[in-house]
Amino acid sequence: MAVPDLTPEQVQSIIPAASSIELLDRGGQKIVFTGIINNQKYALKFMSPNPLQINASVAGFFDDVTARAQREVETMRQCDCPNLVKMGPIGLTTAKISGNDILYFSEEFIDGENLKEYHKLHGNFSIPDLIKLAQNISNAINEIWQFAKIHRDIKPGNIMSRSSNGDFILLDMGLVFDLQDSSLSIGPVGTLLYFSPEQLDFTNRRSSLNFRSDLFSLGIVLYEMATGRHPFFDPNTTSLFAFGWNIANMRPVPPKDYRTDLPQSLNDIILRLLAKRPALRYRSIKLLNVALDQI
Amino acid sequence: MSILAQCGYGRGQKIEKGIDAGLIDGVIMSPRDERRQRLESDIQTWREAYPDAMILFDPQFYASKFTNPRDGHLSEYEYYKNNSGLKRTHFSPSLIQKYVKECLDYQINILGENPEYLISPSISIDDFYDHWSQIAINLAIESADYHSSLNNPPPLLISIVVSETAFRSLPSVEEFLDILTELEVEGFYLLIKRDANYLVHAYEPTAYSNILYFCYILSVINGYKIISGYSDWHSFLLHTVGVNYTACGWYQNLRYFSLARFQPSTGGTRPRKRYSSIPLLSNPLINPEFNSIFISGYIQNALSESNYDYILLNGPISGEGNWSDEISCFAHWYSLKTIVERIESHALVADRIIEANLIIQSAQQLYLQLENAGINFDPSTGPNHLDEWLSGLNEFRGIAHL
Repeated sequence: MAVPDLTPEQVQSIIPAASSIELLDRGGQKIVFTGIINNQKYALKFMSPNPLQINASVAGFFDDVTARAQREVETMRQCDCPNLVKMGPIGLTTAKISGNDILYFSEEFIDGENLKEYHKLHGNFSIPDLIKLAQNISNAINEIWQFAKIHRDIKPGNIMSRSSNGDFILLDMGLVFDLQDSSLSIGPVGTLLYFSPEQLDFTNRRSSLNFRSDLFSLGIVLYEMATGRHPFFDPNTTSLFAFGWNIANMRPVPPKDYRTDLPQSLNDIILRLLAKRPALRYRSIKLLNVALDQI
Repeated sequence: MSILAQCGYGRGQKIEKGIDAGLIDGVIMSPRDERRQRLESDIQTWREAYPDAMILFDPQFYASKFTNPRDGHLSEYEYYKNNSGLKRTHFSPSLIQKYVKECLDYQINILGENPEYLISPSISIDDFYDHWSQIAINLAIESADYHSSLNNPPPLLISIVVSETAFRSLPSVEEFLDILTELEVEGFYLLIKRDANYLVHAYEPTAYSNILYFCYILSVINGYKIISGYSDWHSFLLHTVGVNYTACGWYQNLRYFSLARFQPSTGGTRPRKRYSSIPLLSNPLINPEFNSIFISGYIQNALSESNYDYILLNGPISGEGNWSDEISCFAHWYSLKTIVERIESHALVADRIIEANLIIQSAQQLYLQLENAGINFDPSTGPNHLDEWLSGLNEFRGIAHL
């Protein structure tokens, strides 16, 4: 599916109320601009519906791009948590540019860096930052779970560190999975490097995916931010096949082995998040928070 | 303290005396064996007389699966499906809702103010993958849902009744744990269903290690309260891995769980009298086994040092007449309590495992001494269970990475 090839001028014509429009990012499925609406800066996201599926957009069936955008917008509307990106003033809207269908919406603009950039710039996280990261993102996971949904794509690129207060914000609810909606895909979607063992299980039954899958991904993110290494993947030596096996079977090297100043309790929390079975992780965010408070 | 009385037929004054003597913490009532009126009145009396005692009610709903079960007084309880032989088709969502509501509402009505726990209705499962397993899960989920809809209810324990053989497969145990740990409840009331033909204390090591693992994951890792019913000598191993309470009764059929208790009787004879020996971790027959130990001069090594030992100290055979069912029950509760307290003096599971190993190894050595002295044991009293417990415990250590 093609990402719409838009210029700031075209965005201006689609959203006349916006000003100071600038290109922010261009990803695999969407192009993102920033713009000011009512004196507030927002992210403006544009996508192209899947042309192979667009004609089937009848009787409640949507192409996958539209379906994703819909659940992203719906989740942002439902959730009210300081650690989740919020909806902007423009809901999911359609437009035509040069005869092509375009989907777009706005969301809160987070001034800061994503964790990938942040780690590159600042290196391994301090212990207080690691604890804060765990608390903030687990709060976000918990908020999504209140609506029987899971994020499915927790990774450094989807977590922002807000410049103003250092809070961590979870972005991109496009892959959010609603356990009560049978129309959405339950197959392996997300970013492979941050998959939980149950996400990798292609025969996975609906009942075994829940918020504890997101906790596993959070465990990988924490491990990376603590040590600069992925717990199951070495870019120089790990094949894709071996990676899948590692996720499902390998016990990771304790992060404390790479990061000697890591408190034992935080080391144990990260390893518990990385447990192969959901039952071995935390059965509630409350229990995780109790453990984090005790560090 | 963490021993409960598992009630059954022939209760007499055992509960009152057991609590008074500090041998038990409370009781799990058996509606099969109690007239409804008496059960309700005794609960009321105990609530006033023993405000610190835990009083639980096992609904025994699992007996509903049998056609014409030997279910005693259960038919006096409205939530129970009398003689129905419930089939899969009797577990539609609306019927499950009805069973759960009736069962939990009844307990709320009879248990008085601030009871410790309610126990959900359940059915027994022989395999974690079979259709009954899904029905048991549905009952559990509905129980948790109904409970959460109540205004300030007592905490809920989900009842789980599983065959020992289901624990042979670790992957299926793990999958079941993944599902159970989604439940927002206080804990679980666990019954391990045993084949009545098994030697009572012996467990297949792999299944047993998985049972220990199951309890450990629910209690230590996930923080649920676990009460294991019908648990005999191996109670101390369950406490080793984090189980909070174990329950044991006076007759053999109240010390291990078998559905044979609910099926037509094949008859039987009055059980022979036994002594509860902490050093042996078993119950040798007073005559001839315990008497042989006495004659060979090893009796001091096999005594549990309870207040009841004096009855047998001048010769087990001469004391046997005074070793009543009630004394035998108290001596057994004393033994279980003593070992469990020894285990629970250690906070960490790893330390408890070391202690449990010492207790078992010490029993093995004593058996060896006694065998060398020419004392023979009946298979139900012999040392085989100790090897199996040790193997199970070691396998558990491996899978739990302890």
